[in-house]
Amino acid sequence: MGQGAKSEMDMELIQQIRDKARNLLQEGTVEGVIGYERAGDGLTSRPFFAYDSSAVERLVFDETCTHNLVKYLLNKKGKRMAVVVKPCDSRAINLLLNEKQVERDRVFIIGVSCPGVVETNWSHKGETLQARCRSCQLTKPLVYDVLLGRETSRKAEEETYSDIREAEAESVATRREFWQEQFSRCIRCYACRQVCPGCYCPVCFAERLEPLWVGIRIAPEENTLWQTVRTFHLAGRCIGCNECERVCPVDIPLSLLNRKLEKDVKRLFAFQAGLDPEEPPPFATFKKEEMLEFEK
Amino acid sequence: MKLFASRDDLICWLESLLQQRIVVAPVRVEGQTMFQPISKVEEIIFDFGNTTLSPKGWFLPPTETLFSVRRDDGQVELVPMLVEHDAVVFGLRPCDARGIALMDGPFLQEPSDTLYQERRSRTALVGLACHQAQPECFCTSMGSAPDDLSHVDILLTEVEDGYIVQVVTEKGKALLPKGWAKYKGKMPTPPQLKTIPTKEIVSAVRELFNDPYWERLADRCLHCNICAYVCPTCYCFDVRDYPDKGKVERVRSWESCQSPGFSLTAGGYDPRTTKGERLRQRFYHKLLYFPERFQEVGCVGCGRCGKACPVNIDIREVISDLQQLTEARSGS
Repeated sequence: MGQGAKSEMDMELIQQIRDKARNLLQEGTVEGVIGYERAGDGLTSRPFFAYDSSAVERLVFDETCTHNLVKYLLNKKGKRMAVVVKPCDSRAINLLLNEKQVERDRVFIIGVSCPGVVETNWSHKGETLQARCRSCQLTKPLVYDVLLGRETSRKAEEETYSDIREAEAESVATRREFWQEQFSRCIRCYACRQVCPGCYCPVCFAERLEPLWVGIRIAPEENTLWQTVRTFHLAGRCIGCNECERVCPVDIPLSLLNRKLEKDVKRLFAFQAGLDPEEPPPFATFKKEEMLEFEK
Repeated sequence: MKLFASRDDLICWLESLLQQRIVVAPVRVEGQTMFQPISKVEEIIFDFGNTTLSPKGWFLPPTETLFSVRRDDGQVELVPMLVEHDAVVFGLRPCDARGIALMDGPFLQEPSDTLYQERRSRTALVGLACHQAQPECFCTSMGSAPDDLSHVDILLTEVEDGYIVQVVTEKGKALLPKGWAKYKGKMPTPPQLKTIPTKEIVSAVRELFNDPYWERLADRCLHCNICAYVCPTCYCFDVRDYPDKGKVERVRSWESCQSPGFSLTAGGYDPRTTKGERLRQRFYHKLLYFPERFQEVGCVGCGRCGKACPVNIDIREVISDLQQLTEARSGS
């Protein structure tokens, strides 16, 4: 597709998003619209909250819109909000619907078809699609109230987990050494947790003092414990938006951990998070015979 | 005093420094540039914009044991931690050196922080002037400059065939070898930076404590600690005691005002419960509380926070927004 045709398509979609947002605000259907606006670098994008119809003119959408805006619904519980949702992000909505964190009738989902997002850094827009987009099988959101944009005809690669298989073939000692090196860089900024739509415990185990689960030391052992528990808490719940890896200021390859568990949960339980709002994640369910005496 | 050192001279000097002291310098770790104690001079990276984290971690480590308490046969002994080595932080940018000078305010005022003071007095700062400004840089708006000598012991400026060595302090002079020639040439022109208007920012901020601006900005904020941890002047920490095999260690680790538990008191009261209040605290500390206490704005214009923020909260934009809000108020 030529540059001209592409930007025309972008503008068409942006106009549709703005029109929809304006209508929703003017009619009082929602109190706010969570979308994207141009970032300060004039090149990439950032989350934007529009509360009145004049603000909707700031809304944009293009291949730099990497943020998973569904996370923000957790901060707006009880409010009627609209949110711009890419196909991948819609899995987070399903997860949160299933876990009763989002009320379907309070959220207006502006689904957008998505040709994939590119690698971005502040002040830098890459040319290539993010790895997660190359293997994304969704051409439109799984759940939406309105679907905007032209449906994409992009052919996705199959997720083969080739990097995970390579890592699995390494010895325990090699893998331990690799992760110790990675986790020694962790500064416990908790950006991975803060950006994750699946991380919403009122008090995170990492903040608990009594009992103490993990200490405050920013040091390899405690960093490892933090990252291990974080990852396992997302087993069968991670929807693969990969925001944790994107925001990590020291570039820890968290997707390797998340996708390893995704692969295992697929194999063991034939389950992938966020595809169906009715089906609970395997670790949030049990069979009747598994119930303990006091639970019957 | 200005001297000249060829690249070979510089490497030889660093080799000899490394024999006597710990040398903390920018190295490449998995694609990131980080300050670390080096074991070989070849590890040092000279060609970088700025490091991912500032060098503040040498003086205020992400985690350190302050002291330990041993109990043995009914005797209780307090064992202080000691700083055992002299060090050089090599290759820090002038903005980051200013960051350390600003941290001196809270850490060296009486009663001073013992470990910080020890490290500070036993460490020399060898700066590396910037020959190129990065898109995130705004040091000249915050009292520093790409060639600022004010807070280093020695400043190196790279030129075609070596380095101009500006000797700033006696501490710096004592580190240098004899025999380097005087430099009589001109200094290269430092890169030009876009300035941001910081005029009267302190009084502008004061008026906006209850402005809805903070809650709106907090909508987008993730409330992670990235900005605080990459910042060369954020110095908040948490302290806890850890029992371990007959002794108790008192540990200090970086912490930030963005954390949910940061301002929670023992009685259960939290003066900053909303995200807007927490986000406001970070900017108020830099732009109002720190200047009121230490006479300088608590920002050096390195731009790391804006660059690393996953949702593009940029202090330059915040300052500009605050000024516009103040103007709008005074106009109405």
